[in-house]
Amino acid sequence: MRIIPLKLLITLCTVFLLSGCWDTKDINHRSLPIVMGVAMEDDQYNIHLQIPDPDTDVMQVRIVSETGETVSQAVDKLSANMESRIDLLHVKVIVIEKELAKEGVKDLISGFMRAREVSPKALVVVSDEKIEPFFSNLNNTTDPQGTTLFDFFDKDAGWSPQIALTRVWELYRSIHSTTRDVVLPIIKSGDSTVIQHLGSAVIKNGRMVERIDPEETLLVNAFYEESTHGKVEVMEEATVLIVGNTMDHKSRNIDQVPYLNSQLHLKVVLLETIGKPTDKEIRTALETQLTNRFNEMFSKIQESKADVLGLGQYFRAKIPSEELKKWRSEHYPKLKMEFEVHAVIRNEGQIKLGAD
Amino acid sequence: MDKSLHVVLMYLLVHLGLIFFLYPNDIISSSDEGQWMPIAIGLLFHFVLVWIYMKGLSFFPKQNIIHIYSEMGKGFATFFLLPVFMYLMLVNVIGVRAYSEIITIIFLSNTPSWAIIILFLSISGYLAAKGLEVIFRTGILLALIFIPIIFFVLIATFQNVDWNYLLPLIDDDFHFMTTPSYMKSFSAFIGGFLFLGFIAPYLTYNRKKVLMAATLLIPFFVFAVYIPILTFGHGTASRFLFPYIMAVDSTYINWLMFDRVTMFFILSLVTFIMLHLSLLLWMAYQIMNHWFPHQPLYSILSFTIVTFITSIMIIDWKAVERLLWWNSFLQFYVLLTIPLSIYFIGRRRKGRA
Repeated sequence: MRIIPLKLLITLCTVFLLSGCWDTKDINHRSLPIVMGVAMEDDQYNIHLQIPDPDTDVMQVRIVSETGETVSQAVDKLSANMESRIDLLHVKVIVIEKELAKEGVKDLISGFMRAREVSPKALVVVSDEKIEPFFSNLNNTTDPQGTTLFDFFDKDAGWSPQIALTRVWELYRSIHSTTRDVVLPIIKSGDSTVIQHLGSAVIKNGRMVERIDPEETLLVNAFYEESTHGKVEVMEEATVLIVGNTMDHKSRNIDQVPYLNSQLHLKVVLLETIGKPTDKEIRTALETQLTNRFNEMFSKIQESKADVLGLGQYFRAKIPSEELKKWRSEHYPKLKMEFEVHAVIRNEGQIKLGAD
Repeated sequence: MDKSLHVVLMYLLVHLGLIFFLYPNDIISSSDEGQWMPIAIGLLFHFVLVWIYMKGLSFFPKQNIIHIYSEMGKGFATFFLLPVFMYLMLVNVIGVRAYSEIITIIFLSNTPSWAIIILFLSISGYLAAKGLEVIFRTGILLALIFIPIIFFVLIATFQNVDWNYLLPLIDDDFHFMTTPSYMKSFSAFIGGFLFLGFIAPYLTYNRKKVLMAATLLIPFFVFAVYIPILTFGHGTASRFLFPYIMAVDSTYINWLMFDRVTMFFILSLVTFIMLHLSLLLWMAYQIMNHWFPHQPLYSILSFTIVTFITSIMIIDWKAVERLLWWNSFLQFYVLLTIPLSIYFIGRRRKGRA
């Protein structure tokens, strides 16, 4: 009998504790931005947030902006000025202005990783134009849900294989890695489409050092075995569609000179032909086209000493880890790269090759 | 009565609770490469000590370690049981404080830690006051509900793995042996099996099945360290306070309607930790009860109050880390002396008989 009041007390306590209603703000008192734009102006961060505002009937998209010494300060100021609390939990895309990317985003990204408020899965994008016009154009043309930018990079929606996909945690990893850099997609607001994809920014140690075009980004994606399915390749003889890709790498280190042999195996199907090329001609044309493009890109990124392909990874067992710390500055510029493409035409479509 | 299933599941849950939070960081910061070596040495310790402990206990069917020591004499019992009692209380305080801080670091950033501590203590105190049967039956329930989630998350975190990070495999020096963080990592290797010696008259178990459970834990011990390393590389993984949680956070599951699986994962583990805490409180009560026989409620209530006050007094994470470091010495002392002494007492008695 003695135990019953105690039981009651404990039950009551758990009711209060387990409800989890501690300092919570209801969902209607929260603003959940999905896109965040970051720029640097006179040593101050300039933050733009795109916030979907669910009204009773229609969804409206709101753009708010603020400046501050740090991102958190700017967000805090915004929160204070708004009628609801800003919660960065659902930010899906972070747009960084090109100027800031060139200056370096090390502290910005570390801040995101430390505070854990922004998901490490958010995508990082570089904007080619000023952040202000970018957001106002985005708002003018955007769909009522305000998810255009997110859909653009979603693999299940508008993503294409020549667009780089890099998340906050990958960027953070590249900043602290000795053997790996990343590419970030560069976009600007377009004329007929909302967004125009311009290629990729090569980020080395958190700083933009070079840019590559969309075709070259495709090869970077192929290198990471990101699916390149659905990419159309146009050559003089024919147009093909890539339907499968795999990579093989062989690394050697001879007399302090690293050698890497990489083989890209492509499966393609034929879309259009010009004249009457043979199977072999098409394959050779594709192989030379891609190999030349790769060599051109590689000499560019090798010159900027940015290892966006993560080639140093293949030498982890060949070069001692103390030496590997100097990978970017000493070994990578000496790297001899052999890139081979092996294409297989899986089918020729409904019409036999050479029939028309 | 043979309750191997209960014991095995409890063994798994207690260890799972210990593996995923502090242990990956301890191992990663103890060695730059070839982390399988510290893991293998730790696991070796785990297996040898568990085997010796269970072998020693098997000489005394239906007796727990309190009975065994008190048969040897009062002074003898106090000599062995007092450190155990201190260890249990210290682990309890550290556990409550560390995990409440972990919860605030990871997700409840606005909640004051005393509220989380009360939540921890009230639930585990209640379970402990109800006795062993209730703790173990709760264990079955939690295992049924949450182990599938843990499994799912473990498989999902392989998403971003880059196997090149596995290399180089061999670290030719053994400097990790002397680092403080490796000492701390032993709380995961040897901090979870003490309860096997306390449950004897109530629950009996098959030794082989417990060893099998320990074998089942090997992949968890390995992956908790290797998944963050394979995802981020050692250079980046060593910068995180909770590398495995970070790795879970960076997995992107397209088709799942929940954005952050981390939350499910952490909450499942928190329930395991509560279970472990209740087991610790119950063991402390058993020892107290041996010295001064009394109702479980009184001692458990006073234990929770003492734990509450002490854990409130620990102000920051640095103090928690320092306590973990001090505790590792007591832990080594307790978890080496108890299994070995039980084994030798058992051998001697068998020899005499």
